[in-house]
Amino acid sequence: MHDIQLDAMGDPTRRAIVQTLRAQGAMAVGDLARRFPVSRPAISQHLKILKDARLVADEAQGRRRLYRLDPAGFSSLRDYFDQFWTEALDAFAEHVEARANLKRRKP
Amino acid sequence: MTTMAPDTSASIAPVRKSITVRATQADAFRIFTTDMDSWWPRSHHIGKSPMKRVIIEEKAGGRCYTEQEDNTECDWGSVLAWEPPRRFIFAWQITPQWQFEPDLAKSSEVEVTFTGLGDGRTRVDLEHRHFERHGAGGPAMRTGVDSPNGWGDLLGMFAAVAEKA
Repeated sequence: MHDIQLDAMGDPTRRAIVQTLRAQGAMAVGDLARRFPVSRPAISQHLKILKDARLVADEAQGRRRLYRLDPAGFSSLRDYFDQFWTEALDAFAEHVEARANLKRRKP
Repeated sequence: MTTMAPDTSASIAPVRKSITVRATQADAFRIFTTDMDSWWPRSHHIGKSPMKRVIIEEKAGGRCYTEQEDNTECDWGSVLAWEPPRRFIFAWQITPQWQFEPDLAKSSEVEVTFTGLGDGRTRVDLEHRHFERHGAGGPAMRTGVDSPNGWGDLLGMFAAVAEKA
Protein backbone atom coordinates (compact mmCIF):
# COMPACT_ATOMS: atom_id res chain seq x y z
CA MET A 1 0.00 0.00 0.00
CA HIS A 2 2.76 2.46 0.78
CA ASP A 3 4.33 2.14 -2.67
CA ILE A 4 0.99 2.81 -4.30
CA GLN A 5 0.56 5.86 -2.11
CA LEU A 6 4.00 7.15 -2.91
CA ASP A 7 3.39 6.72 -6.62
CA ALA A 8 0.08 8.48 -6.27
CA MET A 9 1.78 11.39 -4.55
CA GLY A 10 4.62 11.47 -7.05
CA ASP A 11 2.61 13.61 -9.47
CA PRO A 12 2.46 17.38 -8.92
CA THR A 13 -1.16 17.69 -10.06
CA ARG A 14 -2.24 14.98 -7.65
CA ARG A 15 -0.34 16.62 -4.84
CA ALA A 16 -2.12 19.86 -5.66
CA ILE A 17 -5.47 18.05 -5.66
CA VAL A 18 -4.72 16.63 -2.23
CA GLN A 19 -3.80 20.06 -0.92
CA THR A 20 -6.95 21.56 -2.40
CA LEU A 21 -9.14 18.90 -0.86
CA ARG A 22 -7.39 19.40 2.43
CA ALA A 23 -8.14 23.12 2.36
CA GLN A 24 -11.66 22.91 0.92
CA GLY A 25 -13.06 19.68 2.29
CA ALA A 26 -15.28 17.72 -0.07
CA MET A 27 -15.47 18.80 -3.72
CA ALA A 28 -17.08 17.61 -6.93
CA VAL A 29 -14.95 16.81 -9.99
CA GLY A 30 -16.22 19.85 -11.86
CA ASP A 31 -15.31 22.20 -9.01
CA LEU A 32 -11.83 20.72 -8.88
CA ALA A 33 -11.40 20.86 -12.65
CA ARG A 34 -12.12 24.60 -12.65
CA ARG A 35 -9.14 25.16 -10.36
CA PHE A 36 -6.64 23.30 -12.48
CA PRO A 37 -5.38 23.85 -16.01
CA VAL A 38 -6.23 20.27 -16.94
CA SER A 39 -9.37 18.71 -18.37
CA ARG A 40 -12.17 17.27 -16.33
CA PRO A 41 -11.45 13.71 -17.58
CA ALA A 42 -7.83 14.19 -16.49
CA ILE A 43 -8.96 15.25 -13.02
CA SER A 44 -11.19 12.19 -12.88
CA GLN A 45 -8.25 10.01 -13.77
CA HIS A 46 -6.11 11.60 -11.06
CA LEU A 47 -8.91 11.11 -8.54
CA LYS A 48 -9.17 7.47 -9.49
CA ILE A 49 -5.47 6.95 -8.81
CA LEU A 50 -5.75 8.76 -5.47
CA LYS A 51 -8.79 6.68 -4.64
CA ASP A 52 -7.03 3.43 -5.51
CA ALA A 53 -4.25 4.52 -3.16
CA ARG A 54 -6.88 5.14 -0.50
CA LEU A 55 -5.84 8.73 -0.14
CA VAL A 56 -9.18 10.01 -1.39
CA ALA A 57 -12.68 8.70 -0.80
CA ASP A 58 -15.84 9.57 -2.70
CA GLU A 59 -19.43 9.72 -1.71
CA ALA A 60 -22.63 10.36 -3.64
CA GLN A 61 -24.56 13.41 -2.56
CA GLY A 62 -27.76 13.76 -4.55
CA ARG A 63 -26.70 13.62 -8.17
CA ARG A 64 -23.19 14.72 -7.43
CA ARG A 65 -20.20 12.73 -6.35
CA LEU A 66 -18.02 14.44 -3.81
CA TYR A 67 -14.37 13.69 -3.19
CA ARG A 68 -12.58 14.22 0.06
CA LEU A 69 -9.39 13.01 1.73
CA ASP A 70 -9.59 9.55 3.19
CA PRO A 71 -8.48 9.82 6.82
CA ALA A 72 -7.48 6.16 6.90
CA GLY A 73 -4.84 6.68 4.23
CA PHE A 74 -3.38 9.60 6.09
CA SER A 75 -3.12 8.08 9.51
CA SER A 76 0.38 6.79 8.93
CA LEU A 77 2.16 9.89 10.24
CA ARG A 78 0.70 9.16 13.61
CA ASP A 79 1.54 5.46 13.24
CA TYR A 80 5.10 6.41 12.46
CA PHE A 81 5.52 8.43 15.64
CA ASP A 82 3.70 5.86 17.69
CA GLN A 83 6.35 3.36 16.67
CA PHE A 84 9.17 5.87 16.96
CA TRP A 85 8.37 6.91 20.54
CA THR A 86 7.92 3.33 21.62
CA GLU A 87 11.46 2.59 20.46
CA ALA A 88 12.90 5.83 21.80
CA LEU A 89 11.36 5.45 25.27
CA ASP A 90 12.51 1.83 25.42
CA ALA A 91 16.03 3.00 24.64
CA PHE A 92 15.70 5.65 27.35
CA ALA A 93 14.47 3.13 29.93
CA GLU A 94 17.20 0.65 29.05
CA HIS A 95 19.82 3.30 29.55
CA VAL A 96 18.37 4.34 32.92
CA GLU A 97 18.17 0.71 33.98
CA ALA A 98 21.79 0.02 33.03
CA ARG A 99 22.81 3.10 34.98
CA ALA A 100 20.80 2.00 38.03
CA ASN A 101 22.47 -1.42 37.95
CA LEU A 102 25.88 0.15 37.68
CA LYS A 103 25.22 2.40 40.65
CA ARG A 104 24.06 -0.50 42.77
CA ARG A 105 27.21 -2.47 42.13
CA LYS A 106 29.44 0.40 43.21
CA PRO A 107 30.53 0.22 46.86
CA MET B 1 -23.33 10.79 7.33
CA THR B 2 -24.13 14.21 5.99
CA THR B 3 -21.28 16.29 7.30
CA MET B 4 -19.51 17.07 4.07
CA ALA B 5 -18.78 20.69 4.89
CA PRO B 6 -15.16 21.81 4.62
CA ASP B 7 -13.32 20.83 7.71
CA THR B 8 -10.27 22.96 8.21
CA SER B 9 -9.95 22.25 11.90
CA ALA B 10 -9.27 18.57 11.40
CA SER B 11 -6.60 17.27 13.69
CA ILE B 12 -4.69 14.09 14.21
CA ALA B 13 -4.90 12.45 17.61
CA PRO B 14 -1.73 12.83 19.70
CA VAL B 15 0.60 9.94 20.36
CA ARG B 16 0.83 9.22 24.10
CA LYS B 17 3.37 6.94 25.73
CA SER B 18 4.24 6.22 29.33
CA ILE B 19 7.12 4.37 30.85
CA THR B 20 8.39 3.91 34.41
CA VAL B 21 12.11 4.00 35.07
CA ARG B 22 14.28 3.24 38.05
CA ALA B 23 15.58 6.74 38.71
CA THR B 24 14.61 9.72 40.81
CA GLN B 25 12.51 12.39 39.19
CA ALA B 26 15.50 14.73 38.96
CA ASP B 27 17.71 12.05 37.41
CA ALA B 28 15.05 10.97 34.95
CA PHE B 29 14.53 14.55 33.85
CA ARG B 30 18.25 15.16 33.45
CA ILE B 31 18.89 11.95 31.54
CA PHE B 32 15.98 12.57 29.22
CA THR B 33 16.98 16.15 28.45
CA THR B 34 20.57 17.16 29.17
CA ASP B 35 21.83 13.62 28.64
CA MET B 36 19.59 12.85 25.67
CA ASP B 37 22.67 11.90 23.72
CA SER B 38 23.18 8.91 26.01
CA TRP B 39 20.05 7.15 24.79
CA TRP B 40 18.75 8.82 21.63
CA PRO B 41 18.58 6.32 18.75
CA ARG B 42 21.64 7.12 16.63
CA SER B 43 19.83 6.55 13.38
CA HIS B 44 17.43 9.37 14.02
CA HIS B 45 18.68 12.71 12.81
CA ILE B 46 18.28 14.90 9.74
CA GLY B 47 21.92 15.77 9.13
CA LYS B 48 23.77 15.03 5.91
CA SER B 49 26.51 13.03 7.60
CA PRO B 50 26.42 10.60 10.54
CA MET B 51 25.41 12.21 13.81
CA LYS B 52 27.98 12.74 16.55
CA ARG B 53 25.76 13.89 19.37
CA VAL B 54 22.44 15.45 20.21
CA ILE B 55 22.28 18.60 22.31
CA ILE B 56 19.38 20.17 24.21
CA GLU B 57 19.99 23.72 25.45
CA GLU B 58 18.72 23.94 29.01
CA LYS B 59 16.34 26.87 28.82
CA ALA B 60 13.05 27.91 27.27
CA GLY B 61 13.84 29.03 23.75
CA GLY B 62 16.96 26.84 23.69
CA ARG B 63 17.94 24.90 20.60
CA CYS B 64 17.61 21.18 20.06
CA TYR B 65 20.23 20.14 17.53
CA THR B 66 22.71 17.51 16.52
CA GLU B 67 26.40 17.77 15.76
CA GLN B 68 27.36 15.81 12.69
CA GLU B 69 30.59 14.10 11.77
CA ASP B 70 31.21 16.66 9.04
CA ASN B 71 31.29 19.27 11.85
CA THR B 72 28.00 20.84 10.86
CA GLU B 73 25.17 21.46 13.27
CA CYS B 74 21.66 20.50 12.46
CA ASP B 75 18.71 22.09 14.24
CA TRP B 76 15.62 19.96 14.68
CA GLY B 77 13.68 21.59 17.50
CA SER B 78 13.33 24.26 20.18
CA VAL B 79 12.72 24.07 23.89
CA LEU B 80 9.24 25.48 24.56
CA ALA B 81 9.13 24.79 28.31
CA TRP B 82 12.05 23.99 30.60
CA GLU B 83 10.72 23.18 34.06
CA PRO B 84 13.04 20.72 35.79
CA PRO B 85 12.39 18.25 37.22
CA ARG B 86 8.75 18.14 36.25
CA ARG B 87 8.12 19.13 32.63
CA PHE B 88 9.89 19.55 29.31
CA ILE B 89 8.22 20.62 26.07
CA PHE B 90 9.96 20.88 22.74
CA ALA B 91 8.87 21.75 19.23
CA TRP B 92 9.40 19.05 16.63
CA GLN B 93 10.66 21.25 13.79
CA ILE B 94 11.10 18.77 11.01
CA THR B 95 9.25 19.14 7.75
CA PRO B 96 7.68 16.23 5.90
CA GLN B 97 10.72 16.54 3.60
CA TRP B 98 13.06 15.99 6.56
CA GLN B 99 14.37 19.51 6.65
CA PHE B 100 14.49 21.90 9.57
CA GLU B 101 11.22 23.83 9.88
CA PRO B 102 11.88 27.34 11.25
CA ASP B 103 8.17 28.11 11.61
CA LEU B 104 6.77 26.92 14.93
CA ALA B 105 3.25 27.15 13.50
CA LYS B 106 4.21 24.32 11.14
CA SER B 107 5.81 22.19 13.84
CA SER B 108 4.34 19.58 16.14
CA GLU B 109 5.29 19.49 19.79
CA VAL B 110 6.31 16.95 22.38
CA GLU B 111 5.52 17.31 26.07
CA VAL B 112 7.32 15.10 28.55
CA THR B 113 6.31 15.04 32.21
CA PHE B 114 8.13 13.32 35.05
CA THR B 115 6.29 12.09 38.12
CA GLY B 116 8.25 10.73 41.06
CA LEU B 117 6.58 7.61 42.45
CA GLY B 118 8.28 7.89 45.84
CA ASP B 119 10.01 4.52 45.64
CA GLY B 120 13.02 5.59 43.61
CA ARG B 121 11.11 5.24 40.38
CA THR B 122 9.71 7.87 38.06
CA ARG B 123 6.91 7.69 35.56
CA VAL B 124 7.61 9.44 32.27
CA ASP B 125 4.59 10.49 30.22
CA LEU B 126 5.17 11.64 26.68
CA GLU B 127 2.68 13.29 24.38
CA HIS B 128 3.49 14.17 20.77
CA ARG B 129 0.72 16.37 19.42
CA HIS B 130 -0.40 18.73 16.64
CA PHE B 131 0.78 16.51 13.81
CA GLU B 132 -1.67 18.28 11.54
CA ARG B 133 0.54 21.37 11.64
CA HIS B 134 3.09 19.60 9.48
CA GLY B 135 0.46 19.54 6.78
CA ALA B 136 0.82 23.25 6.22
CA GLY B 137 3.89 22.62 4.13
CA GLY B 138 2.19 20.05 2.01
CA PRO B 139 2.57 16.31 1.91
CA ALA B 140 6.02 14.82 1.94
CA MET B 141 7.56 13.90 -1.32
CA ARG B 142 9.96 11.37 -2.66
CA THR B 143 12.98 13.45 -1.76
CA GLY B 144 12.32 12.79 1.89
CA VAL B 145 11.61 9.16 1.38
CA ASP B 146 14.76 8.58 -0.62
CA SER B 147 17.10 10.26 1.81
CA PRO B 148 19.40 7.69 3.36
CA ASN B 149 19.31 9.03 6.89
CA GLY B 150 17.84 5.99 8.48
CA TRP B 151 14.44 7.22 9.48
CA GLY B 152 12.96 4.23 7.84
CA ASP B 153 9.51 4.32 6.46
CA LEU B 154 8.98 7.94 5.81
CA LEU B 155 5.76 7.57 4.05
CA GLY B 156 4.26 8.35 7.35
CA MET B 157 5.46 11.85 7.09
CA PHE B 158 3.41 12.75 4.11
CA ALA B 159 0.45 12.02 6.14
CA ALA B 160 0.25 15.37 7.69
CA VAL B 161 -3.29 15.50 6.67
CA ALA B 162 -5.97 14.91 9.06
CA GLU B 163 -7.75 12.11 10.62
CA LYS B 164 -11.19 13.57 11.09
CA ALA B 165 -12.77 13.48 14.45
